Amino acid sequence: MIEFLTAWLGSLPGFMTPLLLASLGLLFCERAGVLNLGVEGVMALGAMTGAVVVLAGYGTWTALAAATLAAIAVSIPFMLAVIVFRAPQIPAGLALVAIGLGLSEALGRDAAHKPFSGLQALPWPDTLVELPLVGRMLFEQDAIVILALIIAVIAARGLFRTPQGLRLRAVGEDPATADAAGVDVQLYQIVAVVIGSALIGLAGAYLSVGGSQIWTEGMVAGRGWISLALVVFAQWMPIRAILGAILFGGAEALIPRLQALGLEVPVYFLSMTPYLLTIGVLLILSLGTRTAQSEPGFLGRAYIRQDR
Amino acid sequence: MTDVETARAASADAAPALDVRGVSKRFGEATVLDGVDFDLRKGEVHALLGENGAGKSTLMNILTGIYAADEGQIAVCGAPARIRSPSDAVALGIGMVHQHFKLVMPFTGRENIRLAAGTARAGCDWVTVDARIAEVLRLTGLDVDLDVSVSALSVAERQRIEILKALTLGAEILILDEPTAVLTDQEAERLLGLMRDLASAGHAIVFITHKLREVMTAGDRVSTLRQGRMVMRGRAVTEVTSQALSVAMIGEQETTPIARGASALGAPLLQVQDLSVRNEGVGVVDGVTLTVHSGEIVGLAGVGGNGQRELAEAVLGLIPSTGSIALHGSALTDGSVSDRRAQGMRYVPADRTGHALSPNSSLAENLAAAAVRTGRLGHTFISIRTILGFAKSLINAFGIAGAIAGGRRPVRLLSGGNAQKSVLARELDDAARLIIAHSPTRGLDVAACRFVHDRLIEATARGAGVLLISEDLEEILALSDHIHVISRGRLATTENAKPGREDIGALMLGHA
Amino acid sequence: MLERITLERRADASALRSAATYGVALVVAVALSLGVMIWAGVPTGALFEELIVQVFLTPAGLARTLTQATPMMLAALAAALCLRLKFWNIGIEGQLLMGAIFATTVALYDIGGPIRLPLMLAASALGGALWIAAPALLRLRFGVSEVIVTLLLSNVAFLFLQHLLFGPFGDTSHNFPTSPVFDEMEKLVRFGFGDTHAGLILAVIAVLAIAVLVHRTRFGFAARFAGDNPRAADALGFETRRVMLISILLGGAMAGLAGGVIVSGTEHRLTQAVGLNMTFNGIVIAALAGNLPLMIPVVSFFIAGLSVASASLKVFYGVSEGIVLIIQGIILLTLVTFQFTATYRVTIRGPEAA
Repeated sequence: MIEFLTAWLGSLPGFMTPLLLASLGLLFCERAGVLNLGVEGVMALGAMTGAVVVLAGYGTWTALAAATLAAIAVSIPFMLAVIVFRAPQIPAGLALVAIGLGLSEALGRDAAHKPFSGLQALPWPDTLVELPLVGRMLFEQDAIVILALIIAVIAARGLFRTPQGLRLRAVGEDPATADAAGVDVQLYQIVAVVIGSALIGLAGAYLSVGGSQIWTEGMVAGRGWISLALVVFAQWMPIRAILGAILFGGAEALIPRLQALGLEVPVYFLSMTPYLLTIGVLLILSLGTRTAQSEPGFLGRAYIRQDR
Repeated sequence: MTDVETARAASADAAPALDVRGVSKRFGEATVLDGVDFDLRKGEVHALLGENGAGKSTLMNILTGIYAADEGQIAVCGAPARIRSPSDAVALGIGMVHQHFKLVMPFTGRENIRLAAGTARAGCDWVTVDARIAEVLRLTGLDVDLDVSVSALSVAERQRIEILKALTLGAEILILDEPTAVLTDQEAERLLGLMRDLASAGHAIVFITHKLREVMTAGDRVSTLRQGRMVMRGRAVTEVTSQALSVAMIGEQETTPIARGASALGAPLLQVQDLSVRNEGVGVVDGVTLTVHSGEIVGLAGVGGNGQRELAEAVLGLIPSTGSIALHGSALTDGSVSDRRAQGMRYVPADRTGHALSPNSSLAENLAAAAVRTGRLGHTFISIRTILGFAKSLINAFGIAGAIAGGRRPVRLLSGGNAQKSVLARELDDAARLIIAHSPTRGLDVAACRFVHDRLIEATARGAGVLLISEDLEEILALSDHIHVISRGRLATTENAKPGREDIGALMLGHA
Repeated sequence: MLERITLERRADASALRSAATYGVALVVAVALSLGVMIWAGVPTGALFEELIVQVFLTPAGLARTLTQATPMMLAALAAALCLRLKFWNIGIEGQLLMGAIFATTVALYDIGGPIRLPLMLAASALGGALWIAAPALLRLRFGVSEVIVTLLLSNVAFLFLQHLLFGPFGDTSHNFPTSPVFDEMEKLVRFGFGDTHAGLILAVIAVLAIAVLVHRTRFGFAARFAGDNPRAADALGFETRRVMLISILLGGAMAGLAGGVIVSGTEHRLTQAVGLNMTFNGIVIAALAGNLPLMIPVVSFFIAGLSVASASLKVFYGVSEGIVLIIQGIILLTLVTFQFTATYRVTIRGPEAA
């Protein structure tokens, strides 16, 4: 039992991290009022870019940086469409999914199915790693796991404790009031989507460079969609996103562990839990008062200042 | 002398805060402000009266940098000033509390103030802002919880946050746009007290209101705008009577009622008994009782936003209400709109594009919508030819210009007057028995107004009854057989069926 | 910098301007798409041959295109019916999969005797409608955004499909996750023209029926009003919510039927790939067709041609299948971006004219 728990807990951060990074990225976009459905495609592009760069002989950190840049680059047409031209965000986001998935397939074909050596666990002393239960969870992890948690804390502080965060949230809640207070609505949205895309790209790159150390088509496997759900589940709060990522990632991590025990588990039903939980949360919140919901008030809508 | 009297005496020779000379503003053809003079002194509460559309908002928008004046000069604290943007206004110490608060609802009051302050002036760090908030709170004695979400606060508390925000941004000149309209009596009392306190502390306050009593209790001086002109400028409230103010605001020319055939009062069509509507727990319509007879136009006067729309929608069955509504003498039990329409109820809403038309559907479809709904144009299938044919007769009968291609083009491309004609054409059919017309001539030119009025009168000649809800007193006076005034969701009625202009003015102003 | 870009609603946003905008968007999208193909390694000279001749003008190519277009039409109807009521159905794939699952259930358990095939198709429509019922009710009754719920339920449906294929529905004769092949009586009749089958006729009938419903009936009229301005529809006494619910359920049924048609007409069994990219295809086609039912077959035909062409480009020039996704993404993004300019005028003010 201890052995099982140790292994499960040890694998949990690896499952948690991409979900956390992607949902933090989305959280930035959505707090500024931009619904970015493109996350699944942007993650795929990040995963592919990371793998290609590592296979080309560059270091893992270069690969992660390249993935974030690729993610930002692919989001530029999306930003242009929804922020500057106020195109409807839902179809524009779906188009971004297609472009991201398509590019990752087209550009990553030569890199597919080639194992490589990616991110390594931080070199903690063996005695720590071998601690029962929490040893592997805490001390057999790579730097990105720690970084993701730090980013979550920074995001929470940045959004809720700085003037820039206040303005960014104002843009997503009530752009007319933000505009009246002198905030450049579109600039803040662009900054939010750039930061968001970078984090989403990093999340994707972590899947290939960090987790499986191989790139295959379709390896994102719905994690982008789960991240969209996770943001709702976390009610647009970065710290709650950590809890959500642990919960959703924990459920995901459980499946291979249970299978390793040779148990007959309803794998697919277990995988449904994040989705069903999120729908449940949405329903419960809708029954409550309006103030209980923290969905940004202007999410997904286009703000156009009435011309004077 | 009391403190207030001392303050008032002192304000007479106080330093000028604001001096507006010869300001004009035109929007296209319409002159909204015509050579307006206005002056404001430090330490006074200066009441600004005027009907809707008199130009008060435009003047204030010029002072706060939202519009630029076409002509005229503005001096702030004796120095000529150019106010080109809202931030210029803030820098000059001009702050405004709008009727619709500019607050981010989920944010706390403190966050809202920080948001506004953080960009108004460079280098406004939160420590400084918080210190200023604390100082303003200490000086004014304002009492409001700054650390809960604004959405959880009452309207009066939100208003206090707006005032606090303006003062924290350094406003010496504070403009309050109908601040008491949204408050209860006790809250209004408290606000008036606060205004007096702020004036005593040296602030200059412009107080826009409709209520004479408030002018008398809280104002030092009063100015009145009518149709873009300053008809009464800076008179001390002690020198004017409420009657004089009422006349200044509404004018005194006699309105000649539009000639109508002898209106033999028919049977009661609509009987509303003790109707109330609550919105988020707040009563917006409060115990309204009125009757509309066949062949009669009942006018409902009042300043906008006093429950008119809710009353109309409740009668039509669009929103839930308590009390009873009887049509043709029998109480309505079925709440549905379609049932009431089947019994001849019709609705011309104030917001025609928002509440009456489908902007992207064609004119023909909009005209035919009611007939389609009842199945008159076909039970299951409906041909486009039927719709166009039906629409054609209405387009001709109502002279809807711009009906290109037989009404096939989207209705959103029509002008305001033609859009309104198309609503009337649909709603004033032969089966119309009770017509609720809300601001039916708003934004229309003279000819179109005349047209609308003629159609309503025609309908009464056919035996229909009309409930005419309007903010335009001329319209109410010219058309109505019976007049009620609505104020804060309650009906105020005089002894007479047709009260005079002054009586109505007094009722609208909440004076009676 | 961005503050100088101002937007004005055009007073003259006419039908002509929208048509012109659409045309320009299409030209730009096609130009970009051709650019992508050339970049991906298709020789310029072969573009016409591969994109036009091989998919529309040869019998084999045309048959493949029509076969692909069949479920696409139904998926596009699912998108358009919902979108006409401003309901974003991002879960077409899920409804389609439920439709396929329901049809397969009828087939595998030999339900219905002689009317089994019609029953399969009816069941598939029912499955799709049931799968959209939850988001529809959540939206109409509780105000929960349909975007996220349809999306999530789509993923739930896919997981359920996998559960069935790796479990109760799995074909034990091989190791691939598919159901056993259907009996002859459970297959839609083929025309003997490639793989084209009676599903094509079914899809065309569905398009025509929905076109009549939308444009020629009292219900369609009410739906048009309810979609454009629900308040005005309410004030006229239309039963706005009921009309919305029925339209959305009908949309879900169309998606479900697409699933039924794929399993009974094309695949003849349930596989993991039956719903692949169908949400996206449906939305792209509906957007290009301007949500007009009668335009859907035309647009579906071309989009199907594109995906058929991409398969042969892969074989002959080694071009990745991802290209077709990129191109569809570009088309959709270009279209929605240009749509905006039909209703708004963009002006960039000089620094002085503030």
